[in-house]
Amino acid sequence: MLPLSLLRTGQGHQIMVELKNGETYNGLLVNCDNWMNINLKNVIRTSKDSDKFWKIQSCYIRGNTIKYISVPDEIIDLVAEEEQTLRTTYQQRGDSNRGRGRGEGFGGRGRGDASGRGRGDNSFRGGRGGGNSGDSSSASRGRGEYRGSSRGGRGDFRGSSRGGRGANNNSTA
Amino acid sequence: MTSSFNPKKESILDLQKFLGKEICVKFTGGREVQGILKGYDQLVNITLDQTQEFIRDAEDPLITTDEKRFLGLVVCRGSSVMMVCPTEGCEPIDNPY
Repeated sequence: MLPLSLLRTGQGHQIMVELKNGETYNGLLVNCDNWMNINLKNVIRTSKDSDKFWKIQSCYIRGNTIKYISVPDEIIDLVAEEEQTLRTTYQQRGDSNRGRGRGEGFGGRGRGDASGRGRGDNSFRGGRGGGNSGDSSSASRGRGEYRGSSRGGRGDFRGSSRGGRGANNNSTA
Repeated sequence: MTSSFNPKKESILDLQKFLGKEICVKFTGGREVQGILKGYDQLVNITLDQTQEFIRDAEDPLITTDEKRFLGLVVCRGSSVMMVCPTEGCEPIDNPY
């Protein structure tokens, strides 16, 4: 049982959050994310010495300021259920998805950037790569390939950030 | 995943609905300001206009006094933003417990 899945399951429940500075926030957990940032609503904020109180309609609390969160007991059962259902859905999905590897166009890594760093530097050195010096307006992150050619073989091609070999006649920048 | 799955980049904080409204921001370290939300980004950097800082008690920095300091237009760095809430519907109350 992961702490964050417990918290995720607690969405829609009343929780109590204590911050590092000692303040506590009691309210309905509306939303949370992987950084433990949370959204609460109908909050009662209590000062450190619990002598002052405020009512707040809704608030956002940054995860890294949280000391601990107390959740109602019944969540523990819900998590077990949810984990079970997740496991089954993942199993089903996993079968149909196998072998797809990465994809889904997330940009991600890869070399080449419009600034001409990385491999090659657009200085007619021949060599490989030749940087992709395409118009710097199109921020070419990810695996480049923003102008058609997907993976240079050899010779003239434009725009691929992954030059094979040969003159990369891409010196428009 | 559940329906609440959140693509990593997007903040769960919907500041869109507070644009042009007065919000209250608490920072790590204890400072607290309120101002009119002019803009924000996904890192929760925030620009506030007509910002006022609540002056805190000299002896006990946890206590905010009624005194205020006018700051005007400010940019709040996201990494030090601890709490964000609308000023509207935020009021001191008696002990509810």
